[in-house]
Amino acid sequence: MGWTGKLLNIHIAPEASYEMEELAEAELVAGRGLVGDRYYLGRGTYSPKLDCREVTLIEQEALDALVRDDPPMQGAAIKIQPFEHRRNLTVEGVPLNHLVGYRFSIGECILSGGRLNFPCRYLEQLLDRPVFLPLYNRSGLNCWIEKGGVIRPGDEIVPLNEVTSKPHR
Amino acid sequence: MSARIIMKLHVERRDQLDDDLVRIWLKHPLKPHLPAWSPGAHVDLRLEDGKIRQYSLTSDPQDLSRYAITVKRENDGRGGSSWIHEYLIEGVEARVSTPRNNFVLSETRSLLIAGGVGVTPLISMGQALNEKNLLYAFHFCSRRRQSNVERDLKNFCDSTLSTYVSDEPKSPRLDLVALIGSLPRDLHIYCCGPKRLMAEVKELTNDWNPKQIHFEFFSTEIDENYKPEPFNVIISSTGQTLRVPENHSILDMLRMAGHIIPSSCRQGVCGTCECVYRSGDVIHRDSVLSPDARQNRMMLCVSRARGSVTLDL
Repeated sequence: MGWTGKLLNIHIAPEASYEMEELAEAELVAGRGLVGDRYYLGRGTYSPKLDCREVTLIEQEALDALVRDDPPMQGAAIKIQPFEHRRNLTVEGVPLNHLVGYRFSIGECILSGGRLNFPCRYLEQLLDRPVFLPLYNRSGLNCWIEKGGVIRPGDEIVPLNEVTSKPHR
Repeated sequence: MSARIIMKLHVERRDQLDDDLVRIWLKHPLKPHLPAWSPGAHVDLRLEDGKIRQYSLTSDPQDLSRYAITVKRENDGRGGSSWIHEYLIEGVEARVSTPRNNFVLSETRSLLIAGGVGVTPLISMGQALNEKNLLYAFHFCSRRRQSNVERDLKNFCDSTLSTYVSDEPKSPRLDLVALIGSLPRDLHIYCCGPKRLMAEVKELTNDWNPKQIHFEFFSTEIDENYKPEPFNVIISSTGQTLRVPENHSILDMLRMAGHIIPSSCRQGVCGTCECVYRSGDVIHRDSVLSPDARQNRMMLCVSRARGSVTLDL
């Protein structure tokens, strides 16, 4: 794969259901998550479930498609702001669905794709918008952190074209 | 089921309306606008110990720069209001959910009946009705005179407001029998206040269309004679069966089995854990669902079943 993407926004929430807070930079810790985030702290909605959720990403292009009502499945256009979708990182130019099982870098950090994120009714309830169907298959990517460090909006995201040894499906 | 985002708001100001009544103004520290709400809505407030209490919004729904809640100190309550009176002072952080509305106003001519602090959801409702010339009358009963609250009400419904103060011998008494007996039958009635007041309004409107009579409960009726029995819950998507013993709720058992179910009041009044059921003989013990809604919905925190119930999960 040959592409270069960009990190647009970083968000964390201190506990399940809490409003997401935007960060100008974040520390990624391998094996845990973003410092201060509910999944780093073990306080997320899905924390009791063993799963890959150290850091979650979503494509800005998917959010742009919802604004265009594309495809027209939910009756009307839906605007979801970066602080609303509850993924940690909003990225641009990154084909997330192709990264399951692969390593890629964000700035000085290395992530690996664990599994595609699946839209949930819980998010629909929190947003009070019908996002379940339109986010199907473009709800983002749940990742492991292989090499930690500090990331900032604007950091480049590039594929490493290496298969990860981390669990993935 | 309905989960809500929790916001960290700041207490901007407190107005002491009476010895035991405080209005608390809440602002978002970063965002100029809070989520929109409709008259009658409430928010969940998280207390320091993680418990949750519901309070009606008493500000103007058109002004989203701030919310206000009005809280009466209930010394024999569950502790939430005392904590709020003591610790929710200017400048501190308050953890508040986005608004939810179980007391939705119809666009039709309506009568409002408030008792004590039950006036809180009716303030914004009265204002909205008055703006549309749909406020038939506003009756407000209280033990002591609530001059500040009355002043707020008079701002928008001076000509339709009647107040009744039980501690003042010369104050008139609300004669519900005469009032309800004289009402045009196309009115909607919204009532919030002590259980006795709501029970009387319910009794006197027994022969009305139930869709015209609306109550907002802040705690549920406890039937001391009710003896919970064990029953089964079946999860429709998987066929899994869970046994609910007499000393646990459906909510408890679902959570123990790993289901992620939002809940808030655990008293059947807030509507958070509402769930669709597909079949079963449900014993509804909540104070929030309408008779129509109860045909296929139940509140998992308090309601139970005879034999078994199949949930749409």
